[in-house]
Order: sequence, then structure tokens, then C-alpha cells
Amino acid sequence: MSTAHNIDPAVSQPQMYGLLAEFHDVQTLLDAAVALRKAGYKKWDCYTPFPVHGMDKAMGLRPSILPWIALSGALGGVFTILALAPLCNAFLYPMIFSGKPYWGMPGHIPMAFALGILGGTVFVVHGLFVLARLPQFYHPLFTAERFRRVTDDGMFIAVEATDPSYSPSATSQLLTKLGAAAVEEIRD
Amino acid sequence: MASVTTTQVPGMTGDFDNTLDDGVSQAPLVLGEATFHEVTRKICRVAEAPRAPMAWYVAFAISTSLVGVLGVMIAYAIFTGVGVWGNNSPVFWGFPIINFVFWVGLAHAGTFISAILLLFRQKWRTGINRFAEATTVFAVVCAGLFPGIHVGRPWFAYWMAPVPNVMGAWPNFYSPLLWDAIAVFTYTNVSLLFWYVGMIPDLATFRDRSKTRLRHTVYGILAMGWRGSAKHWQLYERTILILAGLATALVLGVSSTVSTDFAVSQLPGWHETIFPPYFTVGAIFSGFALVLALAIPARELFGLKDLITKRHLDNLAKITLVMGSIVTYIYMMEFFIAYYSGNGYEQFAYLTRIMGPYWRMGWLILFCNCVVPQIFWFKFARTTWWLALPAALLCLVGMWSERFVIIVTVLNRDFLPSAWHNYAPTWVDWLTFAGSIGLFFTLFLLFCRFLPMIAMSEVKSILPQAAGHVHDDSPADAAGH
Repeated sequence: MSTAHNIDPAVSQPQMYGLLAEFHDVQTLLDAAVALRKAGYKKWDCYTPFPVHGMDKAMGLRPSILPWIALSGALGGVFTILALAPLCNAFLYPMIFSGKPYWGMPGHIPMAFALGILGGTVFVVHGLFVLARLPQFYHPLFTAERFRRVTDDGMFIAVEATDPSYSPSATSQLLTKLGAAAVEEIRD
Repeated sequence: MASVTTTQVPGMTGDFDNTLDDGVSQAPLVLGEATFHEVTRKICRVAEAPRAPMAWYVAFAISTSLVGVLGVMIAYAIFTGVGVWGNNSPVFWGFPIINFVFWVGLAHAGTFISAILLLFRQKWRTGINRFAEATTVFAVVCAGLFPGIHVGRPWFAYWMAPVPNVMGAWPNFYSPLLWDAIAVFTYTNVSLLFWYVGMIPDLATFRDRSKTRLRHTVYGILAMGWRGSAKHWQLYERTILILAGLATALVLGVSSTVSTDFAVSQLPGWHETIFPPYFTVGAIFSGFALVLALAIPARELFGLKDLITKRHLDNLAKITLVMGSIVTYIYMMEFFIAYYSGNGYEQFAYLTRIMGPYWRMGWLILFCNCVVPQIFWFKFARTTWWLALPAALLCLVGMWSERFVIIVTVLNRDFLPSAWHNYAPTWVDWLTFAGSIGLFFTLFLLFCRFLPMIAMSEVKSILPQAAGHVHDDSPADAAGH
């Protein structure tokens, strides 16, 4: 077990963030995730350069509310046009276009369709950033040199020190037993 | 995911023919040394090389010169007036609308590849989706330019928005032109967000590999602090899936809406129910031809033959062939309906296309869009660059001519022969069009040099070693938060 080596010495008493364990293949990582969940850990996460199929099942992640966010954005877009069109063309400045009714739904469908898609898109992208708490330019894991490979070929599990089941030695041993190639302490 | 094995032999490199299927194992989509790190290295080296290939500098010099020409032409048109263009009664639409419809169409392949092929779980899309999406964004930029200057007084363009104003005037929500503006506005935003969200993990790769402080800062800000967390990946994949669903509806909707500019009018040759699918299929056809025409030089120039393999070219050409054949069918149907309608005006409009003053372009369309793509029935043509590239370029010529003929031949033969007048673009029209091509290539070349050209995280996820199996049958309980 090596300790984090690039901590700024000026910072007095750096807080322990947790343990970072490196894995070398996807199967070991998935098995370790299942084992950690079964061992009762709550505050931990896997870090991979690509989405691992089945990881949400292995970690026991619940489905997110993103589809509902997208739906609300899409409906918001649709109803914006269905309300805005009669507001402009039937109430604020009533005008007859080509003998059509002031409030004719069919002629407003193409715009309602487009704005529904726009609303759904904008909402789901913002929902992603809010739920993922991004942008987040600092994270304790970024202090680890080996963690730079998480966007290349590194696969990691980090267990946070605030987890009720966390213990520096026992958790470290468990991670090693689960096939971690290296375990390192991360300080905040 | 791992139910079908993938053959992965270390000796296979870019020129390997991976287009064959033996029915037992999947052909490899990544050739050469297919480790995660090697994929990162091959893609990053394009953006990390201290100098781009010489051809990049030559192309960039030409493109930026054309952007300069574009700026001068726009300024000239706005300060002098739109009379500098060939638009005149009765052909008021001319080049600006031709180019608008053409560029919007080119945008469609990127959305098709990243949205529809994602929903169909086509793994080969990962090699080309990123730069196809980039062509979408840049083509939409070029498209949006033309209606913007076509209004002649761009400072009044905000009148299209429902802005409260002293005149009490509001936009006409029944007008296809307003539908069109909203559809293109939506398309711009959706394609940009789709492109950017998809790029975040790869921008993080650039950040983590950066050697200089400037690169680290710029890519760091763009990557938003992405750290590959499984919780983030779950949200990210869900977002991409929802965006793909929305964009699938959009890709079928945008050109349909553009076609209503024509179809909702009362002119023979435009007033047709076939127009929405006709414009959409034509758009996807020209878009795939563009992606094919860009993929061929890009894989040679940037050494990406292991990632954009012959199979990718093969598939692109096949879709081009399918779309070209649907376009052919629609042409036949249009002429048939004109004949079968018994409507003299309708029949006249279609005869004008192939026998009127623009008959050369009418036949050029039939040659480029109906005959040329048929070469892609042959695998040799699909995988040989000196056949596939000219064919793709001819498809683009054909689709631009189609936009020209649809617009001009309907307008130049007005209802009264006394109003007939032919359309001829001026040098300003031609240079503005050339400038828009320069704008597209400037943006595209900058993208190739400074942004991840291939979706690294997605390519990694289709490698055989990225698949695992979850050995757990107990009901999932909550972990994390």
C-alpha cells in the first residue's frame, strides 16, 4: 500500500478522503463492485474510461429521474407554442391568415413538435449536469497521479472515508483480496 | 453483449479487409493493437502532434481565404443591397435558399449516425459518429447563414421572434417560414448539445494527457471535471439515449419542416404531399455522401485507418446506395403523379425540369443521384477510395443541383408566360456559396486538429475486453447515494 505522494505540504492536516484501488480488467472490477455492495459499503464509486455494461446492476444503482426531466422539458416546449401562438395571433393582435381560424391547432403542430424536442434536450442536458454535480473542477481523486489514467485505460474503485463500514486497514485488505493491483490512500 | 465473439487478431492493420462476415464471429471494428491505451494514443496523437500534416495547412489556408471572401461578399450584399445577387422576379429565392436547403440536408447524416444508429445498436457507428456529428454542427452553421442574409436587412431578423414591439406586430404562427426558423434553431441547439455532451469524456482524456498549462486549462474547463464515475456514466448513457430518441424525431422533422416552405405553397411542382419524406431522404443521402467524402481523406491523413476501417466505408457506402435508391424511387413517383394527376400545370412543371431551360441540370441530377450511387452495389467500389470518393462527390453535386432545380424551375416559369424569366446567379452568388464551403472546411479542420475526432470512450466500450459479466442474482439494493 503506497501513500499519496503529491500532497501540498503547506496544507496542514489534510483530511482523509478514502482509498483508491486500481484494477486491471473489467471482470475483476465488476466482481469487486458486487462484493463491495454485498459487504455493505455505501459511499464508494467505480471509475472507468468507458461505460461498463452491467455496472449499475453490479453497484446497485437505481435508475435516475432523467427521463422524467426530459419529458417535462418536452411538454413544456409543446405547451409553450400551443399557448404562445394563440396569444400572439388571436388575443394580442387578432389576425386572419388565409382564412384560417385564429386558434387552429393543426397549423401549430410543426412548431410545437420542434420546441418540444428543444425543451426535452435542454432539460435533459441540464438535468445531467445537476444530477452529476458537474462542473466540478476539483476532486480529491485528482490529486492521485495514477488517477490521470482513468480517462485512458485505468479502472478504479474509490471508497470514501466517511462510509460507516470504512476502516483504513480492513477496507484496504478487502480491496486487495478482490483483485486490486494497487491501493492508495487519498487525502483531501 | 459478449454473447457473440469478436475475432481480434493482432496482425490485422488498417488495410485489412474486415468487411466479410462469417456468420459465427463479428468482424473486428478496431484493427491494429486494440488495447484501451492504444485507442487513446492513436486518436490523441492527431491533436497532440506539434505540427499537423502539411496537407492540413494547405487546406486550412484555402478554407480561411474563402471565409475571408465570404465576409467580403456578405458585407457587399448588405451595404449595397440584395440586388447584387441574381434573385429577381419571378425567381426571388435563388442561391440563398438553394444553399440553405443544401446545407441543412448535409447536416442530417451526423444526426442519423449518432441517433438512429445508436438506437439500433450499430456498434460500427462509434468510429465515425463524432466527426459525423461535427459535420452536422458545421453544416447547420453554414445553413443558418443564408436565410440570415437573405432577409436583406439582417438587423430586422429578430422580427421572426415573438418580441413585444411598438407596432403590435407578431409573427404568423401559420407560416412555414416561421416553422422553418424554429426547426433550424432547434436543430442547431440539439446537434450542438448532443455533440458537446458526447465529447465530455474525451475532452477529459485530452485534459489528463495535456503537457502544457494552457491545454490543461482549456480542456479542463471544457471537460467540466469529468472523472469517469460509474454514477456519472449511468446518467451520461441515459442522457445520450434520450438525446438520441429526441434527435431521431428531429432528423425526420427538420427537413420535413424545410420542405413545407415549398409544399404548403400553391405552386405546381412544390405543392406535393411527398415533399417531407422526399427532402428528408435526400438530406440523409447527401449527408452520407459528405461523411463518406470526408472519412476517406481523414483516415489517410491522420493515420486513423485502424479505427475508421474499410468496414466503416463499406457501411457508409451501403447507406448512401439505399438512400440514393429511395431518392430515385421518389423521382419516378413525382413524374408518375404529375402524369397521373392529369393536371396540365403539374405536367408542365415536370417537363420543364428535364426539357426546359435548365434541362442539363435536370439530367445531371438523374445521373448523379440515380445512376452514380448504383456503383456501390459492388464491394470493390465501396472499399476503393478512388472510386468511392468521386462517386460521393458526384452525389453531392447531384443533390445541390436538385435543390437548384426544385427552386428555380418552378419559379422561373410563372403562371403567365409574360412573367417568365430565367435565373442566373451572379459572381457574388457563386463567391458566397464558395465562401460557405470554406467556412465549413475551416471549422472542420479546426475540429480535426483540436478536438477528439473519434469518440474514444465509445470505441473502447466496443472492444472485446470492455465486456464483463455481473455474477449476482440477488435483488439489487441501494449502494452509494
